[in-house]
Amino acid sequence: MKEMRQEFADTLKEVGTADQRLVVLVGDISHFRLVEYAKACPGRYYNVGICEPTIVNMAAGLSMAGLIPVVHTIAPFIVERSFEQIKLDFCYQKLSGNIITVGSAFDYSTLGCSHHCYGDFGMLKTLPSTQLFFPASPVELNTLFKQTYQTNHLNYFRFPKETHEIEFDAAQVIVGRGMLVRPGRDLTVVVTGPQLKNAMLAATDLSAQGLDAEVLYYPTIKPFDAKLVLDSAKKTRRVLVLEEHSQFGGLGDEVLRCTREISELKYDTIAIKAEFIRGYGSYAELCAIVGLTPQNICAKAKALR
Amino acid sequence: MNNDLRLKIVEMIRTAGEGHIPSAFSIIDIIAHLYDHVLKVDPSKPDWDERDYFILSKGHGCAALYVVLEKHGFITQHDLNTKSKPGGILGGHPDRTKVPGAEASTGSLGHGAVTAMGLALGLRIRGKRNRVFALLGDGECNEGTIWETALVASNLKLGNLCFVVDENGSAAQVLPMTDLSRKWEAFGWEAQDINGHDGKELAAAFEDLSFNFTGKPKVIVAHTLKGKGVGFLEGHGAWHYKIPNDTEYAAIRKELGQ
Repeated sequence: MKEMRQEFADTLKEVGTADQRLVVLVGDISHFRLVEYAKACPGRYYNVGICEPTIVNMAAGLSMAGLIPVVHTIAPFIVERSFEQIKLDFCYQKLSGNIITVGSAFDYSTLGCSHHCYGDFGMLKTLPSTQLFFPASPVELNTLFKQTYQTNHLNYFRFPKETHEIEFDAAQVIVGRGMLVRPGRDLTVVVTGPQLKNAMLAATDLSAQGLDAEVLYYPTIKPFDAKLVLDSAKKTRRVLVLEEHSQFGGLGDEVLRCTREISELKYDTIAIKAEFIRGYGSYAELCAIVGLTPQNICAKAKALR
Repeated sequence: MNNDLRLKIVEMIRTAGEGHIPSAFSIIDIIAHLYDHVLKVDPSKPDWDERDYFILSKGHGCAALYVVLEKHGFITQHDLNTKSKPGGILGGHPDRTKVPGAEASTGSLGHGAVTAMGLALGLRIRGKRNRVFALLGDGECNEGTIWETALVASNLKLGNLCFVVDENGSAAQVLPMTDLSRKWEAFGWEAQDINGHDGKELAAAFEDLSFNFTGKPKVIVAHTLKGKGVGFLEGHGAWHYKIPNDTEYAAIRKELGQ
């Protein structure tokens, strides 16, 4: 499977070649990946410098001029450092644009809190014109971006370093829709991002133990596909949510909001607790600290019985 | 100069029951000059594609912008009368989603100038010759994004961009920045100092500007007086956000010769 950052560069080149309005601003990152885009789209690529709030704000100015900006750098420097610029310069003023980040959740697993970002969905959800995406395979990033980059929204794409390794067809990927990846009867597992891989491994293990898990995958966080999870939860009445996000404000909150009236619903989540991740290690090792492993998913699923 | 507009500012703010009179008085001569003599705009088509852009980055001085927009027919006397009231389109900061002629919604300092810089870049990308102006406060120049923008605009050679800094001494009260124009020059801008209340100096400063796509961005540091025009409003004191009572209003009218 292609590297996500390469897909990001290829997608921008594909769209930027076809649409002269696309302008890319980066904060001194992915520069070499975007050389081909810059060659194909002269005058529409700017490595602005290390000044993220200014990059976001000037992108709003580009939007005002009738262009379609894409802002790209590491997630916390855009979402957290530049939140006021997103709120006031894009969303309040009804200007549209695109933010595409690397450094999903704790992808920069050895760099500590400054480079982690796992409250982004919760923060950005509060702003009326946002759409939030977590594409964890190349076809999702390409398809979702092409479907929505020129709509009247502030589109936020958080793409991870790791993929979930499952090949979808582009026709399966639709803005605002979740995907039924594995049908099941006993339990609904709702997952976003690369954790789909662990969810599917756990589902196989659970099946061997007599528990038939239905796996729903959400590359779009907002607008949230409530119907998909509601229909499944009415059937199973057992829901487990997996996400590389704070337990506050992410996918789990959406699932709870739309399933709250289902009687005798049992719910659990594996997400980042109300604590900072202070340790170091590989991505997989930090997943283990959070509890995002097939073993822990199985244990939580069985406890919901 | 512009005593009629100054009085209109006071009357609007008295009706609204809120507003920054001295901050508006320090920039009214600059904004009036821009709309009377410099900006290519059409009040009947506020979104005209060929217009020049003016962004009031120090949004709290919006009363000055409002009375000038009303004078030129972008908005009405009724709009001024309903400032900060339910159903009104004018608030304590400009809002582009409501006010014809207001190019950006500002209020939090250090945003409008950056928007203007992005707009200037966007117009250059599109090959458009529209000019972009922004009016900043000197206190606003304490914000880090202003100096990020100074660096980026210079690096991108945005010669179609002009900032005016209202140097009314606000920053000096808290976090002084001496010799502002030299600082802008150090960031690669073409800078000049003028008296922001002198019509001839304003005219000369804006006439001297040569807009282009490859040169230095321009900044005019306009030395002004907060509250200019009415003696007891001048300076940095209680009048920053105070509403005149009837007696004070009568005294203001008298000083303005109205």
